[in-house]
Amino acid sequence: MAIIERPADTVTSPPPLVTPSTAYGSFRRPVQAEGWRSWVFTVDHKRLGIMYGTTAVFFFVVGGVEALMIRAQLAGPEGTVLSSDVYSQMFTMHATTMIFLFAVPMATGLANYLVPLQIGARDVAFPRLNAFGYWAFLAGGIVLNLAWFLGGAADGGWFMYAPNSSVPFSPSNGIDFWILGIQITGIASLTSAINLITTVLNMRAPGMKFMRMPVFTWMVTVTQSLLLFAIPVITVALFLLMFQRTFDATFFSVEAGADPLLWQHLFWIFGHPEVYILVLPSFGIVSEVLPVFSRKPLFGYPFVVFSGIAIGFMGWGVWAHHMFASGLGPLSVAVFSISTMTIAVPTGVKIVNWTMTMWGGKLRFSTAMLFAMGLVVQFTIGGLSGVTHAVAPSDTQQTDTYYIVAHFHYVLFGGAVLGFFAGFYYWWPKIFGKCLNERLGKWNFWLMTIGMNMTFGPMHITGLQGQPRRTYQWTPERAGEGFFNIGFWNLVSSIGSFVLAVGVLLFLINVIHTHRKEPPAPLDPWDARALEWMTTNPPKEHNFDTVPTVTALDEFFHRKYQDVGEGDAHDLQRIATAEEILAEQEAKADEHIHLPSPSYWPLLLALSLPVIALGVIYGLVVSVVGGMLAIFAIFGWALEPATADDSEFDPPVDDEPSTELVTSD
Amino acid sequence: MSALATVTSVPARRRAIALIGTVCALVMTACAEDAPQDTWQPEGPNAQKIHNLQWPVFAVAGLVGVIVFAAIIYEVVKFKDRGQPIPKQTHGKPALEIGLTIVPALILIGVAVPTVGTLLALAETDDTECSVNVYGQQWWWAVEYPQQDGCGGISEEFVTSGQMVIPTGTKVLISGTSNDVIHSWWVPALNGKRDMVPGRVHTLRTEADDPGIYAGQCTEFCGLSHANMKMEIVALAPDDFEAWKANQLEDYKSPEEASLAGQGEAVFIQQCSRCHTVNGLEDANGPIVSDPEQYVYSGVAPNLTNLMTRNTFAGAMFDLLTDQCRDRVWGASPEEFGDRYLEAVTPECLNEVELREWLRSAPSKKPMYTDASELGATDGRTRGMPNLALNEEQIDQLIAYLLERK
Repeated sequence: MAIIERPADTVTSPPPLVTPSTAYGSFRRPVQAEGWRSWVFTVDHKRLGIMYGTTAVFFFVVGGVEALMIRAQLAGPEGTVLSSDVYSQMFTMHATTMIFLFAVPMATGLANYLVPLQIGARDVAFPRLNAFGYWAFLAGGIVLNLAWFLGGAADGGWFMYAPNSSVPFSPSNGIDFWILGIQITGIASLTSAINLITTVLNMRAPGMKFMRMPVFTWMVTVTQSLLLFAIPVITVALFLLMFQRTFDATFFSVEAGADPLLWQHLFWIFGHPEVYILVLPSFGIVSEVLPVFSRKPLFGYPFVVFSGIAIGFMGWGVWAHHMFASGLGPLSVAVFSISTMTIAVPTGVKIVNWTMTMWGGKLRFSTAMLFAMGLVVQFTIGGLSGVTHAVAPSDTQQTDTYYIVAHFHYVLFGGAVLGFFAGFYYWWPKIFGKCLNERLGKWNFWLMTIGMNMTFGPMHITGLQGQPRRTYQWTPERAGEGFFNIGFWNLVSSIGSFVLAVGVLLFLINVIHTHRKEPPAPLDPWDARALEWMTTNPPKEHNFDTVPTVTALDEFFHRKYQDVGEGDAHDLQRIATAEEILAEQEAKADEHIHLPSPSYWPLLLALSLPVIALGVIYGLVVSVVGGMLAIFAIFGWALEPATADDSEFDPPVDDEPSTELVTSD
Repeated sequence: MSALATVTSVPARRRAIALIGTVCALVMTACAEDAPQDTWQPEGPNAQKIHNLQWPVFAVAGLVGVIVFAAIIYEVVKFKDRGQPIPKQTHGKPALEIGLTIVPALILIGVAVPTVGTLLALAETDDTECSVNVYGQQWWWAVEYPQQDGCGGISEEFVTSGQMVIPTGTKVLISGTSNDVIHSWWVPALNGKRDMVPGRVHTLRTEADDPGIYAGQCTEFCGLSHANMKMEIVALAPDDFEAWKANQLEDYKSPEEASLAGQGEAVFIQQCSRCHTVNGLEDANGPIVSDPEQYVYSGVAPNLTNLMTRNTFAGAMFDLLTDQCRDRVWGASPEEFGDRYLEAVTPECLNEVELREWLRSAPSKKPMYTDASELGATDGRTRGMPNLALNEEQIDQLIAYLLERK
């Protein structure tokens, strides 16, 4: 972070403080504030958040198209839309894309944008690392999808069980691209985790105690802590598999004495915390949205926070519930069955708290609120089917059938995705300065909800009627008699998926329509509660004119309202408007605001990763070149000046101290 | 008068009831039909134990869901913004929270106790009355009956594929593994599934109450034809089972040399026997020994000695019976089933079209790795049955020969 005073008067500038000067001529920092370069070299958490979000939504559409192809294939018996080989690639990539290229980065993007604003900070702890994380994520997504064009995508399922993932059973390079792509996105996630955790620990505004932080920030903190410990596990598993496939290691070779269950344990020790990583941020979003549109605080804030932390810890103790049929002994199965039932308790607590938040409230059904309530309903369904899987003997009937597919889509789509959409509608005015159109929003919500339930609801039935997962076709012989057989419900699912797609499309249309036609949003469109709303729409580059001092949970709400009722009576009176509060902040604006400069090196370092990856597949010489590029980038990163030289910035235009960075070019 | 009644209009309530009614009807009808792999229609004590545990848990979960939805619908109606003042900013009620944490915990304890009981009962292997081994490989199941006192006494080991025949009312213990990747054995009417993992042996209890044919499918993704890797368990009354067993161990009878079947035997020896075993098959040089290890990556191919005593082939992907004959067997009552199954596949009932197509070119019927261009990673060995480029005459002869394999 730049810690150099930027004086109003450039004539008598004090000497630069701690960093090397532009003596290292080629290691200057970029300074552009506009144009494509201001995006490509940015380290501003808000721009990076937007980039994460846009890329994640792009991959959501990619994953969605992959899903539609799956559903088209399964709409009728013995379908011919996709061959078995392509179908295997399709379901592998659908899951991989949705999990690693949409859900995790979407949450990271929202976290990047909002966490500093919610805690009263001006950026994250390590802005260049933040930029690196985004570009590494993009690189990983590209590497993963390159496989489609270079011999076929990965085809072993997103869970990639050994020994089916070994070369004799999967000879194309698809799995190699998959391994390397996920390693790269894993590096991105790890850096984000370090960044966000440090930010929350170190950069909270004065008075922002932990128990005054918004729930979204709390859930992000738990999520990033989970990532910090879970990613190394999958990294190890992926290295073992890479060595197996590329360098003829025998980690998963049964002939050499290996136990294929090793992969399963490693994968699921990562995989189970991963699903909490996917859903906790959306729990945080909903915990923000429901109170605002109920005009009441979150019911039981400490319980919500502590149940989130509890889920974070307990999530490490349930992994083998994905392995109930794998041949673990009855003792292991019993232990994990019980631990899985236990984790339902903190999750149930949240449902109670959200429901009770709305109780006695003053409910406004904006689109954001509809999506948040949708999450409460749909996640409850998914959670209850999850409880039925915790019963291990039942699970031996349910696992690997469409009943499981139904469960996780209800918790992931009904949980994570609906939460994200609630976040979109809620925070769009904050991020882009306009509210998304509400009429289109309602259509978006209802079509998505109807589509989602039409698609995944019947899967409960087809699964219990014996339709296995990961099958490229179903046959009339196993579909059962009667009109409402497996065939009928598969057709309903397929039609539902297209309804869902139209719903998603409406969101994209809403985005474009809003950009073109909607007026700028007022300062505080939702009469919100948390600190991120105590800024302009969108926030200024430095977020807060003056770092606020926090005295309560829902700080912004407390600055606007005061309860003047006596004794038991309550009477909330508005004591200030958002405009007044912001004007007050502006009047007290800091004279000198320290902001980090953009940088080239995160991008360059991120670009070295796919080069290394391609070398593993096509020739280690290329990896060596990639490695050299990485080392060069690291040196550049370490040696560049902490900020661009003052002479490279335009002087401030007014006599007063500048609160905006004015740059050349 | 409920609060709901005061705030909703009569038409709205009628619509709500109609909606709920429709959904229930749909769900009921969805449960009412007969999918062969339905997990809620147990036909043996192990599946029954699971079912007895499963449906109450579903009922409780359903009730919890209904309560949550009812609360939300009530809130949506009752607390809608109608211009009321900003409500009291309550922050929670710890007593309620703790109560609503303890109640689910107690319910779950109530579920956990029978769960552990059932799962331990299902892991019991000491009371076995009949041992059967299964081997999974891409993309079919081999079934092996080891020499034993169980199963009514088996004097000599024998092997079949695709259909496992067991005596009714007998505690069968399946022990299984895989010859290549992980597969999973699942016949839902009789028990949950168990993964069959290479390098490990896993056990699974199986018992059928009544004679009948029970459908199953591989349920661990195992590659190209995972969707086509099926099996059936056939349960026969004990005396029918004895008849079946005796038939499996009967000596080989060579067909008349000059007949179509006799010519078929020669084709079989030349084209098929390098992978497929027929017990007792001999040529001029002595007994034919198959060596699938050389040609197939998993090292095995289905034993065809008694092919026509089963009624599916190619990993139970296709029926050996025509539709009409199939319905007769699959739709038979428990009393009729044994006789009809033991009739085996007659020439009139043979599903000749499918068998011909298979013999003409197996890879065109079932996705497999048999193209020379795809075999670099497996040292030239196939995964599945290759196209043998047989001509129609050879196929005629083979079919005649195969029809006598019973």
